[in-house]
Amino acid sequence: MQPFTYSKAATSDDVIAALTGEGVQLIAGGTTLFDLMKLGIEQPRRIVDVSGIGGLDEVTLGPNELVFGALASMTDVASSPALQENYPVLAESLLKAASQQLRNMATVGGNLLQRTRCNYFRNGAMYACNKRNPGSGCAALGGVDRGHALLGGSEACIAVYPGDWAVALTALNASVDTQSPRGLRSIPLADLYRLPGQTPDRDTELAADEMILRIRVPAASYGRASTYHKIRDRESYAFALVSAAVMLDLDGDRVRAAHIALGGVATRPWRAPQAEALLTGQTLTPARALDAGRAAFEGATAGHHNAFKIELGARAVADALMIAQQRSTGQ
Amino acid sequence: MTTHTFPDRARVDALDKVRGATQYAADVAVDRMTHAMTVPSEIVKGRLVSVDVQAARAIPGVLRVLTYQDFQDVAEAVLGAVGPYSFRTYHAMLSDRLIYRGEPIALVVAETLEIAIEAAALVTATYAPDAFSPNIDAEGTEVFVPEGSISFGDFDQAFDSAAVTIEAEYNHAAQHQNPMELISTTADFRGGHLYIHEGSQSSGAIKFGVALSLGLDPERVHVMSPTVGGGFGQKNSMQQQTVLVARAAMLIGRPVKLVLPRGQIFHMATYRPVSRHRIRLGLDAAGKIVAASYDGQQQNSRAETFRGAFSETAARIYAIANYRSSEQLIRTDTQSPGFMRAPFEHPASFAFESAIDELAHAAGLDPVALRLANQAETDPVTGLPFTSRHLVECLTEGARRFGWDDRSPAIGSMQDADGLLIGYGVGVGCYKAATSPVIARLRVSADGRSRISLSGHEMGQGMRNVIVAALVARLDIDPQQLEVIIGEPDGAPQHVTAGSWGTASVVPAVEAVADEWRRKLDDLRDGRSVAGNVHQVLFRLKRPYIDAEVQVLAPGQPVAVMDRLRQSLPSAVGPQYPEFVGLSFSAHFVEVRVEPSTRRIRVSRVVSVIDCGTVMSPRTAESQVYGGVIWGIAAALREISEQDPRYGGVLNNDLADYVVPVNADIGAIDVSFVNKPDPLLNAAGVKGLGEVAMVGVAAAIANAVHHATGKRIRSLPIRIEDVL
Repeated sequence: MQPFTYSKAATSDDVIAALTGEGVQLIAGGTTLFDLMKLGIEQPRRIVDVSGIGGLDEVTLGPNELVFGALASMTDVASSPALQENYPVLAESLLKAASQQLRNMATVGGNLLQRTRCNYFRNGAMYACNKRNPGSGCAALGGVDRGHALLGGSEACIAVYPGDWAVALTALNASVDTQSPRGLRSIPLADLYRLPGQTPDRDTELAADEMILRIRVPAASYGRASTYHKIRDRESYAFALVSAAVMLDLDGDRVRAAHIALGGVATRPWRAPQAEALLTGQTLTPARALDAGRAAFEGATAGHHNAFKIELGARAVADALMIAQQRSTGQ
Repeated sequence: MTTHTFPDRARVDALDKVRGATQYAADVAVDRMTHAMTVPSEIVKGRLVSVDVQAARAIPGVLRVLTYQDFQDVAEAVLGAVGPYSFRTYHAMLSDRLIYRGEPIALVVAETLEIAIEAAALVTATYAPDAFSPNIDAEGTEVFVPEGSISFGDFDQAFDSAAVTIEAEYNHAAQHQNPMELISTTADFRGGHLYIHEGSQSSGAIKFGVALSLGLDPERVHVMSPTVGGGFGQKNSMQQQTVLVARAAMLIGRPVKLVLPRGQIFHMATYRPVSRHRIRLGLDAAGKIVAASYDGQQQNSRAETFRGAFSETAARIYAIANYRSSEQLIRTDTQSPGFMRAPFEHPASFAFESAIDELAHAAGLDPVALRLANQAETDPVTGLPFTSRHLVECLTEGARRFGWDDRSPAIGSMQDADGLLIGYGVGVGCYKAATSPVIARLRVSADGRSRISLSGHEMGQGMRNVIVAALVARLDIDPQQLEVIIGEPDGAPQHVTAGSWGTASVVPAVEAVADEWRRKLDDLRDGRSVAGNVHQVLFRLKRPYIDAEVQVLAPGQPVAVMDRLRQSLPSAVGPQYPEFVGLSFSAHFVEVRVEPSTRRIRVSRVVSVIDCGTVMSPRTAESQVYGGVIWGIAAALREISEQDPRYGGVLNNDLADYVVPVNADIGAIDVSFVNKPDPLLNAAGVKGLGEVAMVGVAAAIANAVHHATGKRIRSLPIRIEDVL
């Protein structure tokens, strides 16, 4: 291990001041950072503990927007009865992630910044990895790519964004409030995550001295018609083979608007506008749901071992749409 | 149906375990202890040109960075003599030769674990790599054909004249045990004696293996392995690191502890290798299976002759008169594979019991009825009688408990209220009922204390429970003050505990030593026996204690085998004894539910009925079967050691990416036992249980998946893409 210093911040201004130094990492729950430090991927010189900052763990489910303080734990947010009732897609995306113990520790802000589970990224210097060591190449290309991206990849990187919560938030047009020495700003989630392109070492558009304060989600009267449908190699405690975050604005059987995002198959949380467009104004039937699922994977590029996810993903989207529809009408 | 001869008894170690008080070898801390960390090789095969340890040595707190050059004095001894103490002949870090990815090239010893880890990361090496063959499909593998494959009758003639035939090839992926307790060694050399703490199924092999490797008197090597945090065959011999750590402790003059990280265990430890099974079956018009052929291939390392004895069990289930088998070891550039729970029997039963299901389907027969109609009455391989065989009862009772009669035979014809496809499948298994010789020593004292020392290791399976159950049934002693010393060669000679022979070996020894002890007590009373608490009898007799010792052989074993036991050399026998063949049997019935859209498979229900002779410890026996069934589910649907052939080794070498089942994956498991004493193997009527519990589960699942979906998946694990 690399020696590092640890300090605890009392306010977000303390944090921003500390972030101007070199090699600084913020820690809240630590569930990702410690793991990556043990693997030698993150080697901070200074760790600033933000978990004691007051007020950043508040959750407000208002009539116009939902606000999640970055330091709220995954468990606290996921176990909110109001969220489960009115936005099951958000609650499920948290509950189907990690384990109870990890969810107790992890925060909803930190969760957004977890890094890829690509084995070549995680497994040491013997594997070429542009994300870990820029310019070294990508061992995943032509390798064991069952868990790699079909959407959003580049010749430099096909590592999947591993999270669930951000996928659900992306479907719901969420944004994050941030603070940096340049002041406060708001970034739509759709713009927060970068495509890898030629610089996969940078996962997000956050600046090195920028901190997420809270997450905002526009309220939707039809939030109950939603689900986070996650298909994985076991029933719990696993990353997604493919997941679909779906929310439907329905007028009877007719779709006024559909929100669809994919997880487990893309280099970042992946919105599927062509699938949404295919449903808009249409009657939702199982056949049309499957058409939408197929549309969501238009343009997908399969590797050696992950082609099955095009069909699996289409069916997962279709199932999610039908679950959302059922929730709209069946309760 | 189950009537236990022995009462239900809580685990003797339950309270300690749930409080976290049980100390495993990897938890041991001794005075002035130092910490070691290995540096894994980054190439698969070749030579180590140089190792740069300067940066590592410069870290404050680093005591020593050892390379193969520090182990030159042990090389010859290990390579020449370790064979009997390890089924692996290749040991890392004894030369500049490298034969597998992840092989250690340096051992860092430091004041703290953190320093050792940091310094290990700074060790660099230059290599002269060679071309390699990472798996059995690669160029450049070697085929080794061991002698002694099982064949009898005239397969060709019988197969050609059969009314219904099937032919299929089945594949089993490489899998790793991943016991919770990591592989570790703590070595302490003081006063001319070497003390080793290591979680092992074979503490005696460590004692004698280390002594031979380092040129020490075995009497000066003391090994402690009282409680093992899971072994499953991965800890059944001396490990590669044991001698290295012991030598490091001697060089440094302080105790050294090494706990291998999980990621390195995927490379340093043994595992279940890849295997292939080509099977042909022929059925006559009367519904008798008349011909079977079994061509097996198993992955091996370049250095070993670890064979895949698939037909040892596959040929013994059914009365098939014409059987032919062949066996090949495919040598690849990998670390040595080894024994993983039901090492041959599990993959063999997946293949053979899938083939039987394919035959039943092809012939339009009920899979249970086909099995019942073809049961072997005597051992087909040797012609000898079975010691006991209740597989028919396992099948009929299992079918009854499961509700097999409700099965609608047509593919995909059963659905539940939610529209999930339901499939029913069956698979049976057998496993050798082996026995090892045991020396047992018992002291019972007037002050209420007792101590029994004998050969055996507690890997969590419940060995101590069995010993206590057998002893208190024989002698009226205070079980609260009974000390059971196992896994310690200083207490009694230690044989490897594996192959499901633990219970059948220790129970007769416990009973014999109790009887011997009773005889010595009665001798004091002129042969008059007396009832009641024996501590009080001793007290009244004014005798502080009585010692007794017995040695117990397996049926038909010569007394000379005791010399092998005293040196901890493998001395177990079975399934074939001079006058009979001993096997345990299992039948598993599985219900799967398959989502019609995304095809997720859930094992909703398993019914398992086991014939293991007498059930000595009902609670730990049931627990063994739960574990076996769950591992069968894991092997069938979850576990695979993934490899990128460009790099060799295992890519998904952590517990996040090596997928084992979680609680949510496991449905209802109904366990019951025939519980009829075996009349021939030993007086207690015990056969083995630990491994037969798993045998047949994977095939039952694959057969159920076929029944639900019509997809015959012949490669494990079955994953979502296979049934989409």
